[in-house]
Amino acid sequence: MEQVVANGIYLGSQYAMIALGLTLIFALMNVLNFAHGQMYVIGGFVTYTFYGQFQMPFLLALLMSCLTLTVLGALIEKFLFGPVIRRSAREESTMLLAAGIAFLLDAIILLVFGEKQRGVPKIVDGVFNWDFRIIMPYDRILICALAILSIVAFITFMQFSRTGRALRALAQDRDAAQLMGVNVNRYSMIGFALGAMLAGLVGGLLVTITGVNLGMGGPTSIKAFLMVMIGGAGVISGAIVGGFILGMLEAVGLAVLSQYGDITYLVIFVALMIFLTIRPQGLMGKPWG
Amino acid sequence: MKRRNLFTTMAAALALATVPATAALADNPVLKIGFVGVTSGPAAAWGISNQRSMETRAAWLNEIGGYKIGDVTYDIEIVSFDDQKDPKRAIAGMEKMAQEGIHYVVGPNVDDGAAAVRPVAEANGIIYFPYAFPKALYTAPASNAVLGMVANYQSGPAIYKYLKEEKGVKTVAFIAANESDPLSQRDSGLVAAEALGLEAVSANVTYQVDTTDFTPVLTPVIRTRPDLLVLSGVTPANAPQLIRSARELGFQGLISTETAQDAQVLRESAGDLANGFISVGGASTPEIASDMMKEFVARYTEMFGEYNDESNTKVYALEYILATLAENPAAINDVEAFKQTMDTFEVPNPYMKGDAVMRYVGMSSFGQRRQVAVPLVVNVFQDGEFETLFVAEVD
Amino acid sequence: MSRAAIYRLLAVAVFLVAIFWFIPFLIDVTGRWNFYYTLTSVALLSVASAGVWLTFYIGRINIGQGAFALIGAYVSAILVTKAGISFWYSLPLAGLFAGLVAVLIGLPILRLKGVYFAMITLVLTEVVRLAALALPITNGAKGIVSIPLPSELSVFDITIIPDFSTIENPKLAFYYTACALMVICFAAMYRIVNSRLGQLCRSMQQNEELAASVGVNIAYLRVIVFAISSFLGGVGGAMFGAIAQSVYPSSFVVKDSIDFMLNCFLGGLGYVFGPMLGTLTLYFGWDLLFELGKYQLLVYSSVLILLILVLPNGLLSIRLNRFRRLRS
Repeated sequence: MEQVVANGIYLGSQYAMIALGLTLIFALMNVLNFAHGQMYVIGGFVTYTFYGQFQMPFLLALLMSCLTLTVLGALIEKFLFGPVIRRSAREESTMLLAAGIAFLLDAIILLVFGEKQRGVPKIVDGVFNWDFRIIMPYDRILICALAILSIVAFITFMQFSRTGRALRALAQDRDAAQLMGVNVNRYSMIGFALGAMLAGLVGGLLVTITGVNLGMGGPTSIKAFLMVMIGGAGVISGAIVGGFILGMLEAVGLAVLSQYGDITYLVIFVALMIFLTIRPQGLMGKPWG
Repeated sequence: MKRRNLFTTMAAALALATVPATAALADNPVLKIGFVGVTSGPAAAWGISNQRSMETRAAWLNEIGGYKIGDVTYDIEIVSFDDQKDPKRAIAGMEKMAQEGIHYVVGPNVDDGAAAVRPVAEANGIIYFPYAFPKALYTAPASNAVLGMVANYQSGPAIYKYLKEEKGVKTVAFIAANESDPLSQRDSGLVAAEALGLEAVSANVTYQVDTTDFTPVLTPVIRTRPDLLVLSGVTPANAPQLIRSARELGFQGLISTETAQDAQVLRESAGDLANGFISVGGASTPEIASDMMKEFVARYTEMFGEYNDESNTKVYALEYILATLAENPAAINDVEAFKQTMDTFEVPNPYMKGDAVMRYVGMSSFGQRRQVAVPLVVNVFQDGEFETLFVAEVD
Repeated sequence: MSRAAIYRLLAVAVFLVAIFWFIPFLIDVTGRWNFYYTLTSVALLSVASAGVWLTFYIGRINIGQGAFALIGAYVSAILVTKAGISFWYSLPLAGLFAGLVAVLIGLPILRLKGVYFAMITLVLTEVVRLAALALPITNGAKGIVSIPLPSELSVFDITIIPDFSTIENPKLAFYYTACALMVICFAAMYRIVNSRLGQLCRSMQQNEELAASVGVNIAYLRVIVFAISSFLGGVGGAMFGAIAQSVYPSSFVVKDSIDFMLNCFLGGLGYVFGPMLGTLTLYFGWDLLFELGKYQLLVYSSVLILLILVLPNGLLSIRLNRFRRLRS
């Protein structure tokens, strides 16, 4: 049981971070960013390149991942999402653009980083073993702590900084924020860049444990969508809760259902569908039309 | 005005796209060999190692003046189609090959694609070399597919038998991704293990291919304390993560798989934890690689920057096609002639030291010769490199 | 008859002649036989996409069409291989079964809107794939293979459709069948959109509460529309199974569901024929870029992004813009 909880917390912390960036972008611009997973993969590959290949310090490599994705996110918002959102008749049309960007990033990842699975040396060795009740390698504990720390830092930033307040205002009501003197275009760009940065950060963190390959992008996006839906779309706390719940659901589900073999995931997904049907706005969200 | 510019750019891009990218070759007539497989997306590594080993060999042959079939020396051109691991696209790819007048195609890489292209291949007289294991593809009335590697129901028993006799393995656990190929491989692996008298302590745990943390998946499997953990049909991307998780959970037994893996990937992502990991390879381990294999690896590395050990098994299909055509030049446009030659074909295997031969096998598995005799080389990963554990043959 | 109506009839006639005579003629002359399969795929995928478009029409983003295509493919395959029913009867049955499933699932989930509906349909695709892997009747991971080609369809001993395995060129036969399906499908769509049902759908798309307050039975309506949508998905999937002569759990996956949706977006959500044009562009575009080798995906996605930047409301909006300019 302790092991299941520990697994759930570890999974949840990484899921929550992935979902955070996605929900931020969704809250600000009503864009379901299909390319989020690809951004995560790029973050992983950048850290791999600097830490794994150039032997730079891990934190520096992580910083490079954040930086790369921030710039990439800003550019994508400025030149792609911004213009399309302004001109499209229905805002869902941005889903096509997001998918197009996902294809493009996939193509670029393949050409730049190749098709192979990549991994980096462990950042810390050893396994924490509490009487075989909880077994958790130290690097996982470290990454989990770093992820939770980043989440706390992000929430603090959103709560107390000027930019964070502006972003929250923008998410609440775009028109009202504009009337209150928030530069909507500028903050949309900042918000998107921030969301992309979070994807890059978690990619960089996780490359030390799971490694990275170009195929991880699409499935990651879809998993992130699920977490966002569980917690409630466009709500920051919802994404965190959703991430931890999906993490727990998987850990508990796999522990309890493993004897049923092939239908484990079927049950998990059906449960998810039933949950979403009963509580369509997720745990924290408000109904959205 | 701005819009017009964009249109012009687009038109230019499209025009560029339609210009055929035919490379200028020497004066020799060109023999086209096809490849239909997955070279983008999550499973890209499978198809790309395939495509690149074919391109390496073709460039090499062309450099030394071409390949002699009958009285004519041909330059070899590889025509590749990316099916994106989608069976619907794979059909389009096979149609494309028929359109190009190609009769010999390597691929597809997965079960569903291999099954979907069968009608097209049979209707258009194409022999294809899939890397998929379902027996229905190779047993009569199917006749145009030739298995391009060793199937897991052939390598599995050999590996389990070896481990049972040499390492005293008594219990075995299987874990597979919940997709067609790995699940089918798990099922046939299970049958093979039980036939050998091994006890399967866990065989129904599955995982989603996009799993990023295998600890919760593996926990119940490791609890059963098997002597051997089999990763059925594992992709090179998932293998190191599974190994790492299993070892970190304190698993002390053996780990094996029946698919080809890449040493570099294992080295990077699992490091020393992968020591002792048993997988199936081609013939590039130092003990058995001939000079030709070494040169192939060198050329591949030079052409594409990095070698992929999965190519050890994938270099063979093209070699078989060309050697069989050389044996019977009439087969170049007539696959029936090719099929006849398959029954008697036998030439030395240039990639292996010793007196190994290339011939078509599969009589005991399929009732007809519809498989290339790739040497069944069982490797063990040790300190960053593969070492040969044992070599066996498929009949 | 008004001039607009005459133009419309003329356009339809030109279109029919083009797909049933001109394209086969062109392929015959140029010898590009492989285009038959590509165009057959386009026709079938556009039928499934048309279903997705219809759900857009009631204001729902549907990323679950792959699930219904897979259901349709399996129903037809099982009926043909295990019950020995003629493919031509299994085709509508596959669609009906998919529609029935849609009614059962649709009743609860159609209450959801926006991204929530989108997500639940996305999960549905994965659920159906996993169910296909787990159920005994679908033959699990091994799939259903060696499905016979469609057999003869005759009424009162008069052959309407000959046995495909005796036809010299089944490719062409599949092409005609797929085109016929597509024409019927889009004719029906056009009819639906311009009927009272279509008007009601439009009112729902704009404001469900308002529509409900003026007496539209929206719960009933959206289930009907979702069932029609899934029927189309099931038929498209069944036809694909017959061409590949095999069905696997991975025959239609999440990526296909997303593709169906993208086809609608690219063609234009405001136009009945949007899904057809969108599918043609997305699917055929990939094949055309075949020569580019490893740059194929790069160029494909770049062109796609450029298209969206120029025409964010879909390809067919280009016509709308011209009309607007004429009017002003």
